[in-house]
Amino acid sequence: MDLFKTLHIAASGMRAQGTRLRVIAENVANAESLAQTPGGQPYRRKLVSFANAMDRELGAETVRVRKIMTDKSEFSRAYQPGHPAADDDGYVLRPNVNTLIEMTDMREAQRSYEANLKAIEASRSMLQKTLQILT
Amino acid sequence: MDGKLSITDVIAKRMQWLTARQNVLTKNIANADTPNYVPRDLKDGSFTRALSRQSQPIRPTATNSSHIQGVSLRDPDGRAREQEELYETAPAGNAVVIEEQLVNMTQNQTDFQTMTQLYRKHVAMIRMALKGSA
Repeated sequence: MDLFKTLHIAASGMRAQGTRLRVIAENVANAESLAQTPGGQPYRRKLVSFANAMDRELGAETVRVRKIMTDKSEFSRAYQPGHPAADDDGYVLRPNVNTLIEMTDMREAQRSYEANLKAIEASRSMLQKTLQILT
Repeated sequence: MDGKLSITDVIAKRMQWLTARQNVLTKNIANADTPNYVPRDLKDGSFTRALSRQSQPIRPTATNSSHIQGVSLRDPDGRAREQEELYETAPAGNAVVIEEQLVNMTQNQTDFQTMTQLYRKHVAMIRMALKGSA
């Protein structure tokens, strides 16, 4: 049944968005994770990339998480001479996580998730309409 | 039926087409964040052509019992073409607009419902003819 295939495709999209949400949660949770040793690296922000992949078993194209990359952008610096991770000048590297960006990203993931859910609902109602022919 | 398409045939074909389109639209929505993905859609004009053509793909003939019938790994919705008119393309190359896809999907759903209703009506008419009364 083709409509069941549709359900699987939408589910793969939801799974991918779920992974994205997980990574966003990791970023937000680690927004204050600093290094332990002087001059050490703090938490580096992670990014998710999706790819369109052929599911051979299903015979349809689904979505999967291609890879989870790290954000290569610069760390910001804060003056905290008392911190164990402070360098000789008293500066501590801070994670390159911007909670505002994470929040907007989260919203987007949520919207995409909902859209997939709507697709499932639409397919389900179509299936139901087909079954109603019998009654 | 003597070569002509009965109304049930037409309805079934249309439902098949709508199902295939639903598949394509779902794929677009699922790939709403995939880099370099361009949304696809089925051409409405292909419906008439699809009616006159057998939908079975061409396969090699198995002349020996040890021949294995391969399964085509090509995308079953290979007829789906990339949309020509795009609203906007994200910097990552993604051109899916979820709203547009949802509108298409709703339209698809309504068409599907029309088809099932027509079918029911048709069956009800046959039933009426058989029973002789409403």
